[in-house]
Amino acid sequence: MLTRGTLIYISQRLVLIVFTVLAVSSAVFLGIHRLPGDALFNEHLHGIEYQNVLHHYGLDQPLFTQYTNFLTGMFLHGDLGESFVNRGVKIAPLVLREATVSAEVGLFALIFTIGIGMLLGVVAAVRQNTWVDYVLSTTSVIGYSMPNFVIATFLLLFFAVWLDNTTNGSFYFQIGWSGTYGSIGEIWLPAFALGFPYASIVARLTRASMLEVIRQDYIRTARAKGLRETVIMVRHALRNALIPVVTILGPLVIGIITGGVVIENIFGIPGLGKEFATSILNRDYNIVIGVFTMYAGLIGIANLGVDLLYVVIDPRIRY
Amino acid sequence: MGCATRSTRARVAREKSLPTPILQVRDLRTQFATDGGTVTAVDGVSFDLYPGESLGIVGESGSGKSMTALSILRLVPDPGRIVGGQVLFHDQDLLQLTGEEIREIRGRDIAMIFQDPQSSLNPVLRTGFQVDEAMLAHGKSKGEARARTVELLKKVRIPAAESRYKDFPHQLSGGMRQRAMIAMGLSNAPSILIADEPTTALDVTVQAQILELLADLNRELGTAIVMITHNMGVVAGLCERVLVMYAGEIVEQGPVEQIFENPQHPYTWSLLKSIPRVDALRHERLRSIEGLAPDLLHPPLGCRFHPRCPFRIEKCFHDHPHLEHVAAGQQAACWVTMERARKEMGADQLIDIRPGAASGVHPGELL
Amino acid sequence: MAATAAAVVVGRPVAPEQASLWSDAWRRLRRNRLALAGAIYLTFLIIVALVALVYTPYPMAGVAVAKPYSGPSAAHLFGADALGRDVLSRVMVGAQISLTVGIGTQLIVLAIGVPIGLVAGYFGGWIDSIVSFAVNVFYGVPDLLVALLLVVLLGHPGLDKIIIAISVTRWMDMTRLVRGQTLALREREFIEAARAAGAKPLKILFGHIFPNALGPVIVQATFGVPAAILFEAFLSFLGLGVPPPQPSWGSMAADGLAAIRIAPHIVVAPSIALSLTLMAFNFLGDGLRDALDPRSRR
Repeated sequence: MLTRGTLIYISQRLVLIVFTVLAVSSAVFLGIHRLPGDALFNEHLHGIEYQNVLHHYGLDQPLFTQYTNFLTGMFLHGDLGESFVNRGVKIAPLVLREATVSAEVGLFALIFTIGIGMLLGVVAAVRQNTWVDYVLSTTSVIGYSMPNFVIATFLLLFFAVWLDNTTNGSFYFQIGWSGTYGSIGEIWLPAFALGFPYASIVARLTRASMLEVIRQDYIRTARAKGLRETVIMVRHALRNALIPVVTILGPLVIGIITGGVVIENIFGIPGLGKEFATSILNRDYNIVIGVFTMYAGLIGIANLGVDLLYVVIDPRIRY
Repeated sequence: MGCATRSTRARVAREKSLPTPILQVRDLRTQFATDGGTVTAVDGVSFDLYPGESLGIVGESGSGKSMTALSILRLVPDPGRIVGGQVLFHDQDLLQLTGEEIREIRGRDIAMIFQDPQSSLNPVLRTGFQVDEAMLAHGKSKGEARARTVELLKKVRIPAAESRYKDFPHQLSGGMRQRAMIAMGLSNAPSILIADEPTTALDVTVQAQILELLADLNRELGTAIVMITHNMGVVAGLCERVLVMYAGEIVEQGPVEQIFENPQHPYTWSLLKSIPRVDALRHERLRSIEGLAPDLLHPPLGCRFHPRCPFRIEKCFHDHPHLEHVAAGQQAACWVTMERARKEMGADQLIDIRPGAASGVHPGELL
Repeated sequence: MAATAAAVVVGRPVAPEQASLWSDAWRRLRRNRLALAGAIYLTFLIIVALVALVYTPYPMAGVAVAKPYSGPSAAHLFGADALGRDVLSRVMVGAQISLTVGIGTQLIVLAIGVPIGLVAGYFGGWIDSIVSFAVNVFYGVPDLLVALLLVVLLGHPGLDKIIIAISVTRWMDMTRLVRGQTLALREREFIEAARAAGAKPLKILFGHIFPNALGPVIVQATFGVPAAILFEAFLSFLGLGVPPPQPSWGSMAADGLAAIRIAPHIVVAPSIALSLTLMAFNFLGDGLRDALDPRSRR
């Protein structure tokens, strides 16, 4: 599968990702540094003290010098600077650690979204125009009409509050991050809240694409060969129905990343999203730049992954 | 009812000298529920297929020939339904089998190949594997299937079969894809192979090769072939017997040579007129059939061909003809038949083939 | 003969199917129960929002009109929040905010997307290349995060800033749609005829192409409204929305979440109002799409 052409394609894309990261971080850097007022103002420093702090961050230099320092720091030393609020805290290791947490929750959400979404989509397609189909189609509109924080709210109400109250505290799900994996309150609930709206979209898309595929001649051929219906659906239909579903994986990854900003706050997950919301409210602009840079890289890599997935699923595509 | 008497009569008229049929289709009816009403795509079709023979089913598109073939294996697409009749395979009615039982018949005893090899092969699976699958579904092991696939690909004359095994369908040419389809169809050594317009999507030289291949396989393996086509030339090249379908019904059937020499139904006659023949007189024009294929939502009363028939008589407008014995092994559903048309209406010299032109019968119709 | 029938030239450059299309669409829409329910709910919501301009049961910022955290009662149907404010009154005012953001954003998106899409689609060439490039760049960035950043960059919070920030991140859908429609319509006979008759490009774009692309544009705008409302709710939820004490469903939900154990009604009321509104718009949008484009059956 990994031909020379594919390798060349991957390396080209990696170069492109580097440029995207550069462009995004530059845009955010320059946009933000035009602004008056940042976290430092909250400290009400004056005179020499203030000058010292400015010097500490290199903010006393001309904008162009600041920019080149930022770029050389980022590309040569992997250094994204220091937090304005928590002096001495280096941003690069911070956002890297947070990115792994976010990626972990996001991956669960992605698995959930695709798994549930495709399953329901296939069921709706196979049972087209029955009550199952109508119920699923209507629920899917409800699904993507619910903001993820509303879903999170109802999950909390049920799993934490209601269960706690009805069992007198003997059984409920602990919400909050402990770093131990697989706890339901810790990963599955946030993943569900993150993924549910997108699962609805995946279900709709899978249904439409399955309906398209099961009318194809090769499905008839498969039946004429005497294959079992489950084999036809999974090996012949679903494989082809996947191709259009892969197209929305890109937007889906972006959606899960942005959704994390809210969901990580609600579930107390120390990820990139929570950091982003906090730092933007605190006007800790160095972190905002760092998080955006991280996001640009993550999205670029995710999109590359999606494009490579095409090759795996559809043998007609070669790079 | 009416249909029952017709099939009984058809059976009585059938030739008795042949061996036991391997497949007996009796009064098959397939309908499609559409927005505008019910379309009867296959309307009381009955025929026999004998072991090792090659039978052609010809007709225009929409004549119900493909639907007849798909109905035999119960592969009619939605919203189609088989609403009546029997399909007896070794005295077992395929229409009464459970889903699992018919699945076992498909591909093992009766195989089917389709018109467009481009769309009939799954684009995301390797060609060889798709041939394997037909055998895996019927109890062969992976190793056995694979070995036999390579052998089959060689048999259908695909060059470099071992390496082609691994190719995806889009990497093969149209002719090779159809050969692979045929290999797939033959993989379980079925007693019947139904070929639905297998050469239509291919270019002319490849068409000839595929037909030759099918003829060889029919001869060597003794597989009975049902050839669905709109092309009389294909029938002439491959088949021993032919059924002519029009508007969901069989209008004529019999041995190929006999029907080519002496067609009795005006529709068959015009189909044969429409193919160029090397032995044709120089002045004889190449003619297509006048008029449009019938609207199956509202099929014409009487004989369904009467709106297009140059030889129609009054009776054709209200009485539905049934298959009648017209010559040895030959039946036609026509009130006039070409024999009479030749004698009384000068069919052989006919130049104007518009509806009613030869008989002069145009009751209440605008020309 | 068929040949003569095909050779008849249409006199006036008008798409012949227009008139019946709208009445057909209306008939189809009325048959769609979910879409109808959505439309009825939205009418109700608009009335509520208008009433809230002049009347709310209690002042929306009135502190301690009830016991803090008190649950629903006859006097306070949706209960009271942490500061003893009447939740129903605040949900009513929240409807104003949501509808203003939703509709205001779509107006800006229409004002940006339609002309750019028309011009890019009609003239093609380098204009189209630039527009397509910009659209793709904006699709590549996480829209919500950019909106968040913009709200901050634009300075003081306020409804106008929010509308601008959302519009900037949501203009591409409409642009892309109008561009695509224009590309398809550009080659149609009645446009050719108008061009041959000497119509100016501006007249062709807004007089002939735009009216024929109106159906999909209406559908897109209907789907755009809930998207914008959702954005506003997100921003407010994160504390970057309208400044307090102005209530927004998003900020009310965020406030209520803190008290979810003792007073779940505070978070539930705005959450349900928000979900119902988004659902109503989506059902209406689905209905409109099915009604205006009978070919694209779900």
